[in-house]
Amino acid sequence: MQRFTELVVAAVLLAGLYATMAYGLGLIYGVLRVVNLNHGGIIMAGAYVGWLLHEKFGIDPYLSIPAVVAVSFVLGIAIYRGLVRHLPRGPAGAVQSLLLLFGVWLVLRNAAYLLFTGNDQTIRTEYSTRSVAAFGLALSVNRVAVFGIAVLTLVVLHLFLTRTFTGKAIRAVAQNADSCTLVGVDVERIYSLTFGIGTALAGLAGLLGASLFSFNPSYGSGDLLKSFVIVVLGGLGSVMGTAAAALILALVEVFAILALPSYLTGAVGFVLLVLVLVLRPGGLFGHRVLG
Amino acid sequence: MKLLPHWVSRPALAALVAALAIGAVLPKVLGWSVYSQNQVTETLLFVAAALAWNWMGGYLGQVSFGHSAMFGLGGFISARLLLALHLPFWIAWIVGGLVAAGYALVWGHPTLRLRGPYFSIATIGVGEATRLVMTYWEDLTGGSSGLSLPITPGLKSELYWWALALMGAVIAGSYALRKSTLGLGLLAIKSDVDAAADVGISPTLMQDIVLLLSGFTVGVCGAFYASYQNFIEPGDMFGFDRSISFVLMAVIGGVGTIIGPAFGAVVFVMLRQYLIGSYPQLYLGIYGVLLIVVILFEPLGMMGLFFRIARRFGLLRPEVEATLEAKAAVGGAAADPGAREGGAP
Amino acid sequence: MTVILRAEGVSKRFGGLKAVDSVDLELNDGEILGVIGPNGAGKTTLFSMIAGSIPPTSGRVLLEGKVISGGSPRRAVRAGVVRTHQIVRPFQNLTVLENVMVGAIYGKARPLGARERALEVLDFCSLRDRAPQLPGGLTLAGRKRLELARALATEPRVLLLDEVIAGVNPVEALQMTDLIRSVREKRRLSIILIEHVMPAVMRLSDRVIVLDAGKKIAEGKPQQVVKDPRVIAAYLGESAAAAAPAQPGSGSFPTPASGSGPASHPTPPSNPTPTSTSPSKKGPGERP
Repeated sequence: MQRFTELVVAAVLLAGLYATMAYGLGLIYGVLRVVNLNHGGIIMAGAYVGWLLHEKFGIDPYLSIPAVVAVSFVLGIAIYRGLVRHLPRGPAGAVQSLLLLFGVWLVLRNAAYLLFTGNDQTIRTEYSTRSVAAFGLALSVNRVAVFGIAVLTLVVLHLFLTRTFTGKAIRAVAQNADSCTLVGVDVERIYSLTFGIGTALAGLAGLLGASLFSFNPSYGSGDLLKSFVIVVLGGLGSVMGTAAAALILALVEVFAILALPSYLTGAVGFVLLVLVLVLRPGGLFGHRVLG
Repeated sequence: MKLLPHWVSRPALAALVAALAIGAVLPKVLGWSVYSQNQVTETLLFVAAALAWNWMGGYLGQVSFGHSAMFGLGGFISARLLLALHLPFWIAWIVGGLVAAGYALVWGHPTLRLRGPYFSIATIGVGEATRLVMTYWEDLTGGSSGLSLPITPGLKSELYWWALALMGAVIAGSYALRKSTLGLGLLAIKSDVDAAADVGISPTLMQDIVLLLSGFTVGVCGAFYASYQNFIEPGDMFGFDRSISFVLMAVIGGVGTIIGPAFGAVVFVMLRQYLIGSYPQLYLGIYGVLLIVVILFEPLGMMGLFFRIARRFGLLRPEVEATLEAKAAVGGAAADPGAREGGAP
Repeated sequence: MTVILRAEGVSKRFGGLKAVDSVDLELNDGEILGVIGPNGAGKTTLFSMIAGSIPPTSGRVLLEGKVISGGSPRRAVRAGVVRTHQIVRPFQNLTVLENVMVGAIYGKARPLGARERALEVLDFCSLRDRAPQLPGGLTLAGRKRLELARALATEPRVLLLDEVIAGVNPVEALQMTDLIRSVREKRRLSIILIEHVMPAVMRLSDRVIVLDAGKKIAEGKPQQVVKDPRVIAAYLGESAAAAAPAQPGSGSFPTPASGSGPASHPTPPSNPTPTSTSPSKKGPGERP
């Protein structure tokens, strides 16, 4: 029973991080109809920026959140303005932007190899190994903090999208970009802003992930897949759907440790995806993303 | 007397036969060294693999980042058969190809419900999951120490003609898949999967057929590669780099065209040779830059350039060029992964 | 007259909403049946179920006694039922001829002579001279004719036409009306027609059914149906229905055919609402 509670709590804490990164991928797709295949690249970049700030300037990873978010936001806008914007809109552009963003990912990975070598890195702080007691369990301070930040981020994002003018404009563009142009919304600006927000979420997820796990230039490809599984499971656009799907994935992964050799746990999410596709072609909740 | 289906162009057939005939005598005529002949063999092999990838990526518009799974599986199944049963190598290749095709169907049939970008991401998952499992499945792959195949004296140089035949068959297959009535159906699916279904096409069936053909061919290429290298290990055979290389060959040459990926493969093999020799730390980034540049400036790659040049010199009428480009176009309306059985209005 | 196509209690539920609610429908051999109703009435959803592209939640559709609903569109097409789309969906990467050839080849799985059959259909739809072009170069009316030609090439018994007239200019509308009529006369097809352009519906249809909020609210000869108070209410709201004299023959329903009146356009705007577009058009992407 103790073990069971432990695993459930571990899954819940992990789900916060998963929801954050998946929401970034889903937001960009929902608004621009572009799958950011560079999602993993930004996650990796976020991890390295946090690591660099910690190694060189001794900045605590949690204090470097604004810097990491800003860097990945600007990086996202640059990628959108410099590259993605020049592709045709619509279905033909969808495959092209996929290949293009894949190219950007390769470049980022290569850059990381050159700058930081392929070695595994970790961000180690004095509280890395500390834990707090709750539910009769010892919880890692880091994991609790990551969960808290992730939940806070999602709440802020939800409020931003539902309460502010810009947020409403983003949702309106997701519904119908043409009508938005007619009523005077600067759709181009919304696109680049959305891309920036999506990549900022990815960067944040990278930083948070880096405070829990070790990483190298290939870091992020697993997270791209996980984000993708969550988007398919949870549907686009709903924070609740994303959170629920993130929780499901985290639970499955955590409990898979009991049954499977550790090298296979990385493949669990994907098996879950295929099972869902076979059994529930419509996805679990919300809007469908399947053809 | 009508021996050929109506969609076979005699000049094209003649050109293929002539090219293969010239290719067959080339090593003797030019007196190639063993080294150069092997280089050409490898190039021909990847021409075949790139074309087979293009059946999925270009003809169906379903870009796969997971074709290394079939390449590797074909290789290891064939290697195990050669080691255990001492079969003639071509039987082992075919069995390897069949197993690869079966595997492609197992993961592809469900994931092909996903259209366009979503399918592509799922294939990254397929590739990674397969690589993980295969790396640890030592009974099949020998784990990280890999497998060595029995050495047959003289086989390596003989493989040149096998590669030529394989490539010839795959080029003919590419042509047939585009020009035949099946090809017309594939183009319709790529353009608009729902509209295609509404006039009586079964997209599931057609996609599964292409998946099987592509999986089989790439599996055979993997098996061939195993015989050619004499040693294979899962990290190389199932690696993400392997999958990317198929994508790059096709994109450089011209995704969706009949012959473009063949040129792309030639360029890619030479480029990789050069990069790995001269800039081993940069090749991944250079692939990335290549992808970006091609997609931004000439989405149809070398074939796109060729179309442009041909039109400049009046060799290709603009209407014909437009039709050719439309057929090659990377995605159609089908690339929208929007639900086909809609949700609530 | 024999019934060729019959829908029995066909319903479709999307989540909590009944897009189509237990609709019965009969199509006689050689008949043109008009389906009208306000936006969101469930007309296109009904079509999608008849054409096999979405399965009904309950009920079934029979072609000459054989069930065709609930399977795939292919099953319906093989049996002889084919639809066109309100928003035209030509295969952009194929020439006009090839577009029609796809129908000719796959409609009845008959590749032989597909080219000749496709050319004949193109002739019939006055598109022959456009055969080698890409559909992108056609006018909207041309693309609508192409949509029709591609459907005809599958050699159907029953043709489902989803707004093939709306959105084209008056001359082209007349041409399309003539074409639809000759489809019936020369090719011996039975037709179900969704259309917002009232004069066309009035002129073409032998019979009309009216859908509102997923339910069939009226059925009969076009001239009678448009005088039905329930139909007027569906289009113009309850108050208009109350104000309109309900006596048959008074001719007060404001159709363009019947002339003037302050609301001389019961024709709802042709831009589609989510329910009246094909559900297959719907992508994911709504935010909360």
